[in-house]
Amino acid sequence: MEAAGHITQNALPALIVAVPLLSAALVRPLGKWNESVRNVFVTVVTGITLLMTAGLIPLIAEHHKITYSVPAIIGELTFTVDSFNMLFALFSAFVWFCSTLYSLDYLKHEKKHDRYHITNLVVLAAMLGVVLAGDLITLYLSFEALGLVAYLFVVHTETDEAKKASIKYFWMTVLGGFALIGGIFITYALGGTGAIGPIPVEHGATTLRWVAFVLLTLGFGVKAGMLPVHVWLPDAHPVAPSPASALLSGVMIKAGAYGIFRTVTALFRPELAEEIAHELWHFTGQIGLVVLWIGIATMFIGVVLALGQSNAKRMLAYHSVSQMGFILAGIGAAGYLGAHGALGYAGGLYHIVNHALFKACLFLGVGAVFFRTGSLDMYHLGGLWKKMPLTFLFTLIAACGITGVPLFNGFVSKCLIHHSLVEAWELHELVSLGIAEKIYIVTCGGTACSFIKLIGLVFLGKPKVEYGPKVKDAPPRMLIAMGMLAAAIITLGVRPQIVLEGVVAPGLHTWGLHSDLIEHYLEVSFMSWGDIMSVVTAFAIGFTVFFVGMRFGLFHMHAPKWFGVDFWYRKAARGFMGLCRWTDEWYELLRGLTSKTLRWIHLRYRAEWSHLERDWRRTIMTVTTGAPGPRNQHFVQRSYVILEREKQATVRYAVMMAVNWLREHPDEADDAYCRGLIDAVRDISSYMATRLFKERLGVVSDFIRSDEADAVRDTFERVVCSLSVYREAVGQTALTLAEKRMAGENPLREISAAMNRILSEERFDQRLRQSVPEQVTPTAALLHATHGALPTAPSAARLTSYRVEGLSRLERAGTWVTDMARLIVESATQERVSWMIEDRSSTESVLKTRRQIQRYARDMSFNVAVVLIVLLVFLASLSANF
Amino acid sequence: MDSQLTASIIPPLAFLIPILGAVVVVPLTRTSERWRAIGLSITCLLTVVVAAGLIPGVLDGQVYETYLLRLTPRIWMYMRVDAMGALFGITASTLWLLALIYSTGYMADEHRKSRYYAFFSLSLAWTMGVAYSGNLLTFLVFYELFSILTYPLVVHEETPEAMAAGTKYIIYILIGGSLVLLAIVFTFFLAGDQTLSTQGLLDMSMGKGNLLAIFWCFLVGFGVKAALVPLHGWVPDAHPAAPAPFSTVLSGVMVAAGSFGIMRVVFNVFGVSLLSELGVMQYVQYIAAFTVIFAAILAVNQDNLKRRLAYSTISQMGYVALGVSLLGEQAMIGALVHISNHAFMKGTLFLCAGLLIKHAGIHRVSEMRGIAKRMPVTMGAFAVAALAMIGTPPLSGFVSKWYLGLGMLDVDKPVYLAVLLGGALLAAVYLLPIVYAAYFKEPIPAGDITPADKKLEAPLSMLLPAVAAAAITLILGLAASAPGMPLSLARLAAKLAFH
Repeated sequence: MEAAGHITQNALPALIVAVPLLSAALVRPLGKWNESVRNVFVTVVTGITLLMTAGLIPLIAEHHKITYSVPAIIGELTFTVDSFNMLFALFSAFVWFCSTLYSLDYLKHEKKHDRYHITNLVVLAAMLGVVLAGDLITLYLSFEALGLVAYLFVVHTETDEAKKASIKYFWMTVLGGFALIGGIFITYALGGTGAIGPIPVEHGATTLRWVAFVLLTLGFGVKAGMLPVHVWLPDAHPVAPSPASALLSGVMIKAGAYGIFRTVTALFRPELAEEIAHELWHFTGQIGLVVLWIGIATMFIGVVLALGQSNAKRMLAYHSVSQMGFILAGIGAAGYLGAHGALGYAGGLYHIVNHALFKACLFLGVGAVFFRTGSLDMYHLGGLWKKMPLTFLFTLIAACGITGVPLFNGFVSKCLIHHSLVEAWELHELVSLGIAEKIYIVTCGGTACSFIKLIGLVFLGKPKVEYGPKVKDAPPRMLIAMGMLAAAIITLGVRPQIVLEGVVAPGLHTWGLHSDLIEHYLEVSFMSWGDIMSVVTAFAIGFTVFFVGMRFGLFHMHAPKWFGVDFWYRKAARGFMGLCRWTDEWYELLRGLTSKTLRWIHLRYRAEWSHLERDWRRTIMTVTTGAPGPRNQHFVQRSYVILEREKQATVRYAVMMAVNWLREHPDEADDAYCRGLIDAVRDISSYMATRLFKERLGVVSDFIRSDEADAVRDTFERVVCSLSVYREAVGQTALTLAEKRMAGENPLREISAAMNRILSEERFDQRLRQSVPEQVTPTAALLHATHGALPTAPSAARLTSYRVEGLSRLERAGTWVTDMARLIVESATQERVSWMIEDRSSTESVLKTRRQIQRYARDMSFNVAVVLIVLLVFLASLSANF
Repeated sequence: MDSQLTASIIPPLAFLIPILGAVVVVPLTRTSERWRAIGLSITCLLTVVVAAGLIPGVLDGQVYETYLLRLTPRIWMYMRVDAMGALFGITASTLWLLALIYSTGYMADEHRKSRYYAFFSLSLAWTMGVAYSGNLLTFLVFYELFSILTYPLVVHEETPEAMAAGTKYIIYILIGGSLVLLAIVFTFFLAGDQTLSTQGLLDMSMGKGNLLAIFWCFLVGFGVKAALVPLHGWVPDAHPAAPAPFSTVLSGVMVAAGSFGIMRVVFNVFGVSLLSELGVMQYVQYIAAFTVIFAAILAVNQDNLKRRLAYSTISQMGYVALGVSLLGEQAMIGALVHISNHAFMKGTLFLCAGLLIKHAGIHRVSEMRGIAKRMPVTMGAFAVAALAMIGTPPLSGFVSKWYLGLGMLDVDKPVYLAVLLGGALLAAVYLLPIVYAAYFKEPIPAGDITPADKKLEAPLSMLLPAVAAAAITLILGLAASAPGMPLSLARLAAKLAFH
């Protein structure tokens, strides 16, 4: 308690993290240069890290808590070390060193050594960052780095299996990371400052506290392999190379355990104070109970699933889940018991250390078997104890550790957790906790059974296959690594005081808790008859299950797929992706509909608009000229019809002449001749008539061009009627030339001559002009109407030629006004150019643009004219006023 | 307010130098690619230097101002560099410099390069003008210039898709621009032309109806550019059609200019207290939250890489709008710093997408399998940016999300944490499978002309900007709290806005 006040600054924690991280940058260049130098380098780096971590021991003994801050990201990264942090850092660095030593030989099977070693060092730094973190941001940063970089461990072999497992691992890690950061955010909302310490109790609603707890536990729990978010672990741990599996299962999941430990015992505990009221522990007790039950469920289900495995590494991975259950049960009991949870703390923490040691050792041992035999299937191995005696010995020690054989480390921690469960039961005598204690014993039995199975099937018994000469004990460096771990297992089993009195008790003091119970345990209960009896019970259950199971093949039974949460997670993920796709499809559909609607509205608008425009034009035209349609156009159409009628009549007349001629000369009435003659006449006459028609139409267009059309409009039909005399000429010519045509000769020259004759006689234009009577044209009428002052209305002929002939000033003004009037009519009746130009660069659009410009210029002049008129009128009115 | 005004001729340089680049350097160097690259890089670099040179003073609490042009006795063109503008200015100019250097490689075999470079340089000028505008009129002038004069860049490829995208772009932008104009005229009518200071130009006495009308005109007008969801239609079309270096700045800075406009409106035109009194911001929050999630969901299913990134931009700009609309100091820091962080994250991604297009012929996500073996550096930068986008510490995305998250809690709205984390999770869903496929999936053998182990890495001129952008992403995260970094400017801006 008194230590909480003063915290010593020391850079060592930051260095411990920085050294492996920075060294990772050197691995690649060294590996390219010389592989053995690199191997030495990575071993030395992990060794130095271990030594530096060990250097924390005297510091903590002296100062209890040291801290250091590095400016980075948002403010600072803080590293704080108390006894608990130090414990985590110590075993992490130790197991890491062993695993690295082991990996040097083991990796001969694998590719991409540099990548492995870089990952190894970075993950070590991240792991140490997690356990040495002094605030939640540093913790989160390291935790994310740990999870994401360790991905490279999982996927390292790059087999299909590894890739599949890695994907699952990855998404679970990412989701866990989001849950974690969400939880951290909410601790801020509750009034936390980001420090790993008690969040003020009076702040925040209970609901928010629960949300924070659930999110934090889920976030850390994913890494810890906690039920029900453990599903990635049994896939991901076995597919990694064995030394990496040892780290994943032995050390890295402890990052999750560490997080949950801090959540329960640091974040959601009452403030450190001399006297803590009992009610203040209420929330801690509740979440402790939740964690305890999650632990019980995790340990039991983990062990049941482990029994069904045949792949040794997969089985070990399931045991990692199960053993995490033990740890969570211990932590949960610590939370539940509040101020009196020393045994829970001790059990949980001690089991964390122990599990790291024996699980790493087991993975290394099984890895050595795989290294030599290439097989991991327990049912296909056997009798290896002779071939690999040392490997067998170390694996056996680790198995004794995990099953809790007395004098091995697992025994102590399991008994401590058991004691804390019993105490938890005694606190309120909840029946459920009594059941939990029974489940605990059964789970221990299951664990025993599993490892009887492992040792029995792999190392004892008869070999099921012939082993080649290559199957011998592992290389020395691998053996040293395993040996170190095995030695630690035994040491901690025989002398639990090292950890319990050396680390846990002072740690409890730092956090203001009593450690009397631990001392009591070490003096009274350690190696007591009761504890040993519970181990014996567990082993009895273990042996029974093993023999029954082997006899009846129970270990090969599997639950249906839908029974596992994994199945439902997959469903959920697929459902989520389906939802995304569904949203996308609907969105696209909606977008398509919208654009179609818009296009439809646009087309509709344009159609309606042009309709309106047409109507407007017609109205204007009717108002100004009294006839629908442009007058000239109308005239052309009318004259076309009249001339066409004349053309038809001419041909008809010629044919009639031919028929009459044939009738008059019946002697030549040979059928074929008759038909031929009529045909020839029709051909020639229609040719001539067509030419006449074209010539006459040409005259009409000439008239229109010279604006004389209006004058001849009324007399036109009469003039054309007068042309009927030339039908005779055409018929004669056709009849004369028919013979020639029938003979197959070309009568074109004669026809042309006849045509010339007819045309020169006809003089259609002169006839038209002569027919014009002296009368007032509509234009002149308009002029007359507006300028009543005119003495006489100018004739159409004079009007058309006003540019050449000298007119009186008034007359000239009049023509100008009529021109302008015509422009008004035109501008009101012209087609609007559509504003959507399909192709920007075609000649057509260029022409269109040019025409637009011309029209614009003309319109502008018109506008100027209007302005002038308005000005004139204005001036006129002014002068009238004064 | 302890900020002191300093008359200075430096702010106009920020947009005069790039204009100089466009109207002098480009015509002078018509014949030589090399000299054009060098000349434009120098002008761009000078702009960065100007923008960076203003920062220390701004952090000291100075506000640089320049009266440019007197339009009428009451109306000035007026430049003013405050913390917000300085942040936007340095972000824009740096990203432009990277994109410009990248262009020299990317555009090497494209057509009509003079047009491209001239408009590219000009658009930097307008953007700097937007950043350093001192009153609404100046803001409007530069905003419209840069909205409209980027049209030639959008349609640069002149393919039918590009032309269609350009038409869409210009219609959206013009409608948005007219609303902004309307709002500015209205503001001018009510408040006169005042400088964009932190007090806010408007007050409650001007009539609630008027204020609401102005606010929504502004929001919809800038929202078009900032790609808030019902107004985002042009973004996913314009990005894939435009050349990669322009997509980079389009996504990184130009879309953010809309968000920047919203910020100016919220913090400088209205002011925080008036807006909380008006009570409109919760609707903006809904829109922004919907934008974040909806656009991200749409991004998941896009196979065209640039289109996917474009949807991602919409989603990320939703974060900025959300941060602004929360009206909290922390949230504002988050929003401001996210503009800058997002510029470089998304910049990296688009630059990498351009490398994939140019050197591997890859346009689609489904073609990217195993590409990391052939383009290790490119995909490395891509992976860094992708991780930053989902907010992995210590990359820059984490910093902005951290402040946004704290901001949500500050104003007592923890519900939006679900949006924040949901958007980030969706970002993981739409970005990380790309990285995974590139690194760990077997390459597609069919249709691949070059041998599978041949390196396709781009030349240094293109690779370097992409790597630099990724490095900036890392630095903006690792050294976020160093003085002079966007975070310090954002903190200053937020302090001014809230105290």
